[in-house]
Amino acid sequence: MTSIHTLDPRDSTNPSPAARAIRPASLDGRTIGLLSNNKPHSVDLLRMVADIIGERYSLAGTVEYNKGGHQWPADPSALQDLAQRCDVMIHATAE
Amino acid sequence: MQIEQWQFDDWDDALEFYFREGLTDGLPVVPPTPERVQAMLDFCGLGPDRVLGTEGIRHKQFPAGKVAINAVMAGCLPEHFPVVMAAVSAVCDRSYNFHASSTSTNGIANLVLVSGPYASRIGLNHGVNAFGNGNRANAAIGRAINLLKANFYGSVSQEMDKSTFGHSGKYSFCFSEDLETSPWSSLAESKGFRPGSSAVTMVAANAPLQLETHGDRDPEGFLTAAAHAMLGFGPRNSEVVLVISQELMAYVAASGWTRDQVARFLYEKTLRTAGEWDNWRRMDKLPPDADRERLMGSVDGPERITVLPAGGDAGEFMALITSWGSSRSVTREITVPI
Repeated sequence: MTSIHTLDPRDSTNPSPAARAIRPASLDGRTIGLLSNNKPHSVDLLRMVADIIGERYSLAGTVEYNKGGHQWPADPSALQDLAQRCDVMIHATAE
Repeated sequence: MQIEQWQFDDWDDALEFYFREGLTDGLPVVPPTPERVQAMLDFCGLGPDRVLGTEGIRHKQFPAGKVAINAVMAGCLPEHFPVVMAAVSAVCDRSYNFHASSTSTNGIANLVLVSGPYASRIGLNHGVNAFGNGNRANAAIGRAINLLKANFYGSVSQEMDKSTFGHSGKYSFCFSEDLETSPWSSLAESKGFRPGSSAVTMVAANAPLQLETHGDRDPEGFLTAAAHAMLGFGPRNSEVVLVISQELMAYVAASGWTRDQVARFLYEKTLRTAGEWDNWRRMDKLPPDADRERLMGSVDGPERITVLPAGGDAGEFMALITSWGSSRSVTREITVPI
């Protein structure tokens, strides 16, 4: 009996997985970045989380950034800037 | 590029394997044999590694070989492949936002809208049941993009594809412009391509809304009906496509209305104050200090309304198709091998 051969339609490339950022041992003295996706409640949620963290640690400060829309990635230069200014980033979406 | 090959005893085994692996849209696929895929590539003179586009958000490259495999599975013939290639190039444009539109709860389909003489050369249907079933070129070309999206790009239904409802255009949504009865130059030409060229316009498309009109022969009458239907979509849609069937197009032609005139009329008829849109609950609640008198259209300008003739020769119908979120339609020329 003749066998048939077919081809794989999937992407066979194996992108290297993104590495997780190194977690600081403590948030004391750290600056936290709050990255909103522009959905109305995401800013509220991020501020609530920052308040809770602020009760537990002595933060150096927070930096808020709104990436302007949930449908697009953040501007790379803005991310670069946040990386320079912040020790930790928190991102949130909330309807 | 090494493409994995699978071996089966017969066609049934192959078909069931593709079902089991989740590599179909729920319907049987044509088994992509190396010979069929090679014929597709040969028609366009492409090697399997040739990159047809790089998607703008995740930067994923679409190699011709993988696109051809999915096109074969969809039922495409080699002469359909130039259209598929142009469609892939179009969705890779960053402004189309293929990634987000393929994952969003909005559940859009990738509409393949073909304009120019190549459409009739490969038997695309622009007439009776233009959006519907029964024609191989329409069914297979539209399906190829959706299989590619799921199988290669990874936007699999209920996994990365989180459509709340979705719609049947997600199996296939492809039709061509009616140039036989149109009084206008082709959509391809109106988008700036040279006369006689063929082009694909890709739209991240919600399900079409069909409108029946009632006896108006003056375009102002039935286009007013279309504009009022557009109000239901809310303000500031990214884009809207208006498809006009043959009977109504005859009235448009007799009145001498241009494509741009139709688009401008629709846009201006949908201008309403922000306060009105807010009162109708068609937008996020306006903050107290917002300017409620500011005028907003259903789209941001007439250039965001694409008007074209298609559909059967009986019935005074139009169809409206809105595009998703921030996605912009993208047009690419179809390059046909000599």
